[in-house]
Amino acid sequence: MALAFDLDGPTGDAMLSGAIWDRPAYFSLGGYGPWRGLDRILRLLAERAVPATFFVPAWVVEHWPAQCRRIVEAGHEVGHHGYRHERYWDLSSSAQRAVIERSQEIFDRELGGTAVGFRTPSGDWRPETPDLLSAMGFSYSSSMRGDDRPYLHPSGLVEIPARSEMDDYASFAYTRNPDWPSGGSRIASYRATLDSWTREFDGYHAEGLCLTTIFHPKVIGTPGRAALLARWIDHMSAAGGVWFATCREVARWWRR
Amino acid sequence: MTIAWPHGRAAAVVITVAFEAELAILSVAPDATDRAKSLSVGTYGATRGVPRLLAELARRGTPSTWFVPSALLERYPEQVGAIRDAGHELANCGVALEDFGAVDTAVQLAMVRRAQEAFQHSLGVLPTGFRVGRGEMSPGLPAALEAEGFTWTSSLRGDDRPHFHAAPAGRLVEIPQHHQLDDGPYFAFNLDPPIPPGSPRIAPTGDVLDNWVTEFDAYHAEGLCFVLTLHPELIATPGRIGMLAQFLDHVHNRDVWLATAGEVARFWGEHGPANPPEHPVEVYHRIIGATTP
Repeated sequence: MALAFDLDGPTGDAMLSGAIWDRPAYFSLGGYGPWRGLDRILRLLAERAVPATFFVPAWVVEHWPAQCRRIVEAGHEVGHHGYRHERYWDLSSSAQRAVIERSQEIFDRELGGTAVGFRTPSGDWRPETPDLLSAMGFSYSSSMRGDDRPYLHPSGLVEIPARSEMDDYASFAYTRNPDWPSGGSRIASYRATLDSWTREFDGYHAEGLCLTTIFHPKVIGTPGRAALLARWIDHMSAAGGVWFATCREVARWWRR
Repeated sequence: MTIAWPHGRAAAVVITVAFEAELAILSVAPDATDRAKSLSVGTYGATRGVPRLLAELARRGTPSTWFVPSALLERYPEQVGAIRDAGHELANCGVALEDFGAVDTAVQLAMVRRAQEAFQHSLGVLPTGFRVGRGEMSPGLPAALEAEGFTWTSSLRGDDRPHFHAAPAGRLVEIPQHHQLDDGPYFAFNLDPPIPPGSPRIAPTGDVLDNWVTEFDAYHAEGLCFVLTLHPELIATPGRIGMLAQFLDHVHNRDVWLATAGEVARFWGEHGPANPPEHPVEVYHRIIGATTP
């Protein structure tokens, strides 16, 4: 079980376009993640002694360095997630390389080390991206959706696939202007979502697979949803025979 | 950091109401002015929703804060008079749910002033609080509101307890709201014109109660400030009002400070700590301050 969180904060399309600088409320919704959601998640992980991986745009590390250092100090892993949550399939190889180099410098300076793990912001990348990642020293990616256990890319990069049914955006994220979901779909039932996640874990457990999550502190880190997350982790712990690990540990094990 | 709420209570609860009537439809479908069925979706909030919601709030003496676009003050004088006479707080949200994101600070401020004049003229009330009706406050509006005499806003989403705005509006209190604690994202519906645009299914009433109770219990355990937002045309149907009653019974049975937004803002203004530099409003203003004076 490789719990993983994307600490996007206010990065993403509105920051890439500059629109966010006229939109303090939209910024605040993203800022809730590093400002409030993260600490709540770190606390419940510490209480349960469960490790996790946080994929963090380096812009968030620059603006909330103390908060991000707490991730590392608690023994969790920090992975690459763009500088401002760039869309990798829109970027040339050299632009991708520049984003990674800039972000790794920030990680090294603020967090005392560079990332070995990579999760593409918004999911998609260019065909050459996995080769680039291997050449730049990454050991794994957690970007694809097409499996329920790790596998190797041709470059030797380990892939730890994540699934949309384990993405809290699909159940809970909600914004206006820009509207997300675009059709105005409802915020899902908390109890029904916990039931779905529990059933999913139970299936992975029964089949002996590898489950990771695409959880966002600004979404899953509200007081009530963090309580759901705690209940879900308690269910998984009680199931027995589960290896809770960071994505880096899973990748190392898979490579061996 | 634990917050020492008044009367030694464990947490604060603010019930806010967005009374929008037909403007709920017209603000998203401006060409619906002669579509009587669609408009009646909003009218119901005035004719049936407000009385039913006021009765439920009176049942246990629940205080609340009502945001009323000033255009409704003359259209629904009985309703707004009843809200005032029941002792609820009235607050400013502009004139007619105009999109604040489409206009600059000067135009936003002009709308706020027009609404203040209407409140004074129609009701003899001068609101001290503001929530944007549609769209967003411009980065410059909080300072303009503070200069205008406002003491609080409720328009951001970056915290689960009150906080101050960044300088130069550093004494203006923000009482943040959240979509998951608003009945709109769960219940708003019109078939045609489609509201919401993708015609999603209406959320099950019992599931929404469970979401709110789950959040409330955690806010209570952590000692935070729970802010609920209700729309009379959505929450005050004969069935959903019973769900609200169940929720409010649950809240009243806990050790909480039920207060208006204005009361919470006064408390925070006197006792609230300064924002740490990592607070989202401080981060935001450092960044825009570097580019716009």
